[in-house]
Amino acid sequence: MGKKRLTDTALSWLFLTPTFIVLIIAAFLPLLYSLWLSFHALRLNMPAARPVFIGLENYTYMLQDTLLKRSTQNNIIFVTFTVSLQMFFGLVIAMLVSGDDRLSRFLRTIFLVPMIMAPVASGTLWRMMLDRTTGVVNYLLSLIGITAIPWLGQPLTAMIAVILVDVWRLTPWVVIILVSAIKGISISLFEAALVDGASPWEIFKKIVLPLLKPVLLIVAMIRIIDGFKVFDIIYVMTGGGPGIATEMLPNFIYNQGLRYFNAGYSAALAWVFIICMSLLSLIFVRLRLRQEG
Amino acid sequence: MYNKVNDVTINFLGKPLRWIVLFLSTFLVVFPFYWLATSAVKLRRDYLAVPPVLLPKEITFENFERIFLRDGALNGLQNSLVVAGCTMIVAVFIGSLAAYAISKGSIPEKARHIFAFWFLIQKMYPAISVGVPVFLVMRKLGLLDTRLALIIMNTSFNIPLVIWLMLGFFGDVPAEIEESGRIDGCNLWQRYFLLAIPVVKPGLIAAAILTFIESWNEFLFAVILGLRKATTLTVLISGFITDRGLEWGPMAAMGVVIILPVAVIVWALQKNFVKGLAMGAVKE
Repeated sequence: MGKKRLTDTALSWLFLTPTFIVLIIAAFLPLLYSLWLSFHALRLNMPAARPVFIGLENYTYMLQDTLLKRSTQNNIIFVTFTVSLQMFFGLVIAMLVSGDDRLSRFLRTIFLVPMIMAPVASGTLWRMMLDRTTGVVNYLLSLIGITAIPWLGQPLTAMIAVILVDVWRLTPWVVIILVSAIKGISISLFEAALVDGASPWEIFKKIVLPLLKPVLLIVAMIRIIDGFKVFDIIYVMTGGGPGIATEMLPNFIYNQGLRYFNAGYSAALAWVFIICMSLLSLIFVRLRLRQEG
Repeated sequence: MYNKVNDVTINFLGKPLRWIVLFLSTFLVVFPFYWLATSAVKLRRDYLAVPPVLLPKEITFENFERIFLRDGALNGLQNSLVVAGCTMIVAVFIGSLAAYAISKGSIPEKARHIFAFWFLIQKMYPAISVGVPVFLVMRKLGLLDTRLALIIMNTSFNIPLVIWLMLGFFGDVPAEIEESGRIDGCNLWQRYFLLAIPVVKPGLIAAAILTFIESWNEFLFAVILGLRKATTLTVLISGFITDRGLEWGPMAAMGVVIILPVAVIVWALQKNFVKGLAMGAVKE
């Protein structure tokens, strides 16, 4: 018995080893490397260049970097609008298609498509549709008397466009998650209210909504965290432009490192970004743990 | 008046509003894909026409011909398939091993909690934060522009999700099965492979689909690490925007090539996929 226990313990650690190896190679070491880099200046485009130690300069530069400030503001605006719209439409549509009838099931299948399409492909598709002259969006709008809009060519409409595309892509995800939560609500909870003659709207407000609250919280947190990771659709739809009107944090970090080749600054940015995201994640994990009891 | 729960939930806005919302949202979801599919088979003069051609009178497959013969879609398709396929196999295998060890293995209670917590955090960290260092390391190792580099990166991104999902599924395996295996003298590996795996097959399928789609769609590291040879389909389609412009036909054809395999997989394994999505987000 004692011997078998030992092998089980050994095997358990053996089972965990490949995961540790992959995460150490692909996540831990690069993170440590970038921490070290963040105290150095290094030009990426010169393979022979050696990192020069510059102390905290990369970090202090952030405070005066107006581009960084703009990207942060943009990203916060983007997250605020995408998450609220996704939650609102997600909840409404989830309610409407949560049934077991054929139509609801069919629509749920259709709604899977936008979220499984590569974001970068969705971005190019919408870029095609939003084109000022050949785009179908402006054509459809012209049918109801709206004149052609240069969607991706001016700051405000470009921001609206990337927000709407993200909403288009991920509202269905919110729908799918919420439908499975709504379906999990027990029938017995409704019966009393139905006997009392409550209307569907009252039942939604008084019974369904409070029951969904924990799930809504988690879904919103996931969407907020993901919203700060947006990269692909910005890359192909606007490239952060016009100017820097739609530049978000991941694009900013990418550009600093791999387009302007400031490896050190990019690494410092990445670290500050990680710390902020970890704080967000921590709040999220605590909410989740509390929910699970 | 209302006999079923469904009647209540689906009518919470009243019938007329329900139909309006459903019609609009269906149109918004379906129309872009109609546009993608038709643009892919439009003649050049049609995809550049003003006003746009809603229903092409003549269709052509020259856009597909062009992307496969001239734009490297064949190579891209191979790369995407190999990267997504290998990532799926590796991530699901080693991720489920780790999840099994955490869930049913003999490790200290404290370590169990630390690992579960670690993988949850890992699932959320932003990939871009390792972009530059990974580029530098891969350059030093001579792995730039190889599928192997992409497989390593994608595996690391997907393992936490696989572990998180499989923790849920292994948790549902009845304790009696474990116990009977122990009595029969099976070691941890035999219990994992012979007893637990058959029970959690739906979970493995869910994890496999999610991992495949994630790596098939992955763009950030594909564009950082895949320069010429190891370019995946996502990098190729982005090239239509940055290098050329207004090549809508071939671009749409590339979009069809990207969405089609994934759509078929999800359609065939919808139940597993939806279950995986739901469990990945909200643990039941």
